[in-house]
Amino acid sequence: MSLRTFILGLSASFGAAWLAVVVLPYLAMRDTAPLPDPQATDSAGVFFPKRTGRVADGAIIYAANGCYLCHTQIVRPTYAGNDLYRPDWGGLKEDPNRGDTRRETNAYDFTGETFAQIGLNRIGPDLSNLGRRLEAAQATNGDPVKWLYAHLYMPRGNPERWNSTCPPHPFLFEKREIKGNPSADSLPFNAGTGREIVPVSDAKALVSYLLSLKKDHPVPAALNFTPVKKDSDG
Amino acid sequence: MSSITHTSPDQDALLRAGIDRSLRHPVMFFLTSGAAWLAVSILLGVIASAKVHSPGFLASCPLLAYGRVFPAHVNALIYGWGMQAAFAMILWLMARLSRKECTMVGAILTAGHVWNLGVGLGVAGILLGHGTGIPWMEFPSFAWPVLLVSYFAIIIGAFIQFRVRPEGHAYISQWYLLAAMIWFPWIYITANTLLHCVPGHPLMGAGINAWFRSAMLFLFFTPVALGAAYYLAPKVTGRPVFSYSLAKFGFWSLAVIAPWAGMQKLVGAPIPYFLPYVGAAATALLFVPAIAAAFNTLRTMLSCPDTLAASPALRFTTAGITGLLVLAVCAVLLNLPGSSLRLTQFSLSGYGFEILALYGFFTLVMFGAAYFIVPRVTLREWLSRRLIKIHFLFSVYGIITVALVALFGGLQQGMGQEDWQQPWAGAAARAYPYAVAMTFAWCLILFSNCFFFIHLALMWLRLGRRSSHPTLLVRSHGASVHGEEGDIDNAGTGHAAAH
Repeated sequence: MSLRTFILGLSASFGAAWLAVVVLPYLAMRDTAPLPDPQATDSAGVFFPKRTGRVADGAIIYAANGCYLCHTQIVRPTYAGNDLYRPDWGGLKEDPNRGDTRRETNAYDFTGETFAQIGLNRIGPDLSNLGRRLEAAQATNGDPVKWLYAHLYMPRGNPERWNSTCPPHPFLFEKREIKGNPSADSLPFNAGTGREIVPVSDAKALVSYLLSLKKDHPVPAALNFTPVKKDSDG
Repeated sequence: MSSITHTSPDQDALLRAGIDRSLRHPVMFFLTSGAAWLAVSILLGVIASAKVHSPGFLASCPLLAYGRVFPAHVNALIYGWGMQAAFAMILWLMARLSRKECTMVGAILTAGHVWNLGVGLGVAGILLGHGTGIPWMEFPSFAWPVLLVSYFAIIIGAFIQFRVRPEGHAYISQWYLLAAMIWFPWIYITANTLLHCVPGHPLMGAGINAWFRSAMLFLFFTPVALGAAYYLAPKVTGRPVFSYSLAKFGFWSLAVIAPWAGMQKLVGAPIPYFLPYVGAAATALLFVPAIAAAFNTLRTMLSCPDTLAASPALRFTTAGITGLLVLAVCAVLLNLPGSSLRLTQFSLSGYGFEILALYGFFTLVMFGAAYFIVPRVTLREWLSRRLIKIHFLFSVYGIITVALVALFGGLQQGMGQEDWQQPWAGAAARAYPYAVAMTFAWCLILFSNCFFFIHLALMWLRLGRRSSHPTLLVRSHGASVHGEEGDIDNAGTGHAAAH
């Protein structure tokens, strides 16, 4: 077999797969068509999941500190896993206003990000709806932002999470002298007299990003795979 | 190999000695700096692994945060050790099999330094918090063009050697190596340009990344290791490859199946539905080329049980090929959509599978090849059979632990995750003992490789034994096939025929 035949053989065997599973799907998904959504009143009848917060720069901090190693951001359909059954992963089972908001992740959920952090492992829980989950949990007498700051600073500082395996990120915070009034963001950890622990810019971006994770917006009919509930199902 | 040549044994030996001499510094440079990166990577791996179960360990240092140490560990393993070991293999095997001396030593060594600089800056970038967050591609985006250009500079000579080789025949090793040399830039350029230069859908980006990781394993590291195994098995035993048609079948089935694999990691993600299923099918089908190559090389090696017992090169290669078999079984068992894939998709078995491929198969075969090649290029014999035995035993114990974690840890963890009626902490608790086992495995591997690195560095410094007797794992009784014990430098060229 000559070198030319060999390279042609390789190009054919590799190139077919390369085109079929890499290049063509990539190009096709680059031009994902806008999805008509008659119920969307504020976005000209097009499905557009809005995200608020520092999504782009928070995603960079999320990536650079390897959150994706232990946390996923995907709620799989039931054929691929039981993620949807958990009461607060795909949305909320009992949202005070909307009822059961749980749904699987769709292709429009990563608006504003350049790389979907699907994640490698689930040492920690899925974060697709972290913002929604935290706001619900802290709704009565808490502050989701402060909860996240404290969690990022020292995950085991929370007595309910004494055996958390989430790594602490003290480098996203700084200790400083209190000048005048203490900062509104200061953490409930002892930093010594006259001192306080406050988040630096990276931590603020990351927390803003994490709270923007609310992937349970109502979807148009074309994306709605929720089985229709009969009255007899209760 | 010598059956096809028309030169006398002496001329043949002179040619081989010339090739070995011309490649002494490139081969030793890539092996030694690769081994140094391996040590760095394993050390980072021990730290990262310990943090999975003990998050307080070294927590005060931002450089050593888990989310930075782990990617640094994986990238150092792939680009620092894996790629450089592969360079050493490709350069030496291609020169020997094409029967051409290396004439580009200066360019190769320069490019090798640039490669190491790129890897060093990339790892530093990750540790300083500038990682891209794209698995296996975490180096800051300045690094990939540097690595790509130095790759071409390192490898182009081997390609030209193959093109101008005197004989028309190509060995199966050359097929594998040549294919790896062509596949790597294709895969690497595709993944990096699509993810860094042509912004697309973020989810498809994740799909490309999953494909990239699988393709690096099965279209670069696998063919390089198989190329080395297909060289060592017949060379050391002195028997022909068991079946040449089986070898061809194994090669082309790998070439046809492996490019489709990888995207099963995205099953359930909103990408085109066929992609994860094609990926799962292809990954399971990789069993076929793996069995073909493993059966063929193992049959060849087992034809000479005495040599197999005595030769460090063959012992490591056998262990590596056994690793390939385990890997093939794992590829089937862990990737069945609807049953095991939902359990293992986001579990320890992803990492375990990768380490099994990178260390349990690729690295062990590279060690085997290094034990064969280094004495030839340095004209010194390995210092101690005991060091080799320690290296072998602890590597194998370590990788067996990794394999167990990959198989059982991943499934256990997945069962905890799927049990949605229980709180999430249950899944974490199930993974805990396996995370501890992973740290234990890395400690064993670290211990074993300290010995390898010291041994290798001494060999490059030409402090090896000056002897015409190779270092074998069993002490031979009676007359040695290598004749009287003597000083290799005074043995003359005729004795080089023993190599």
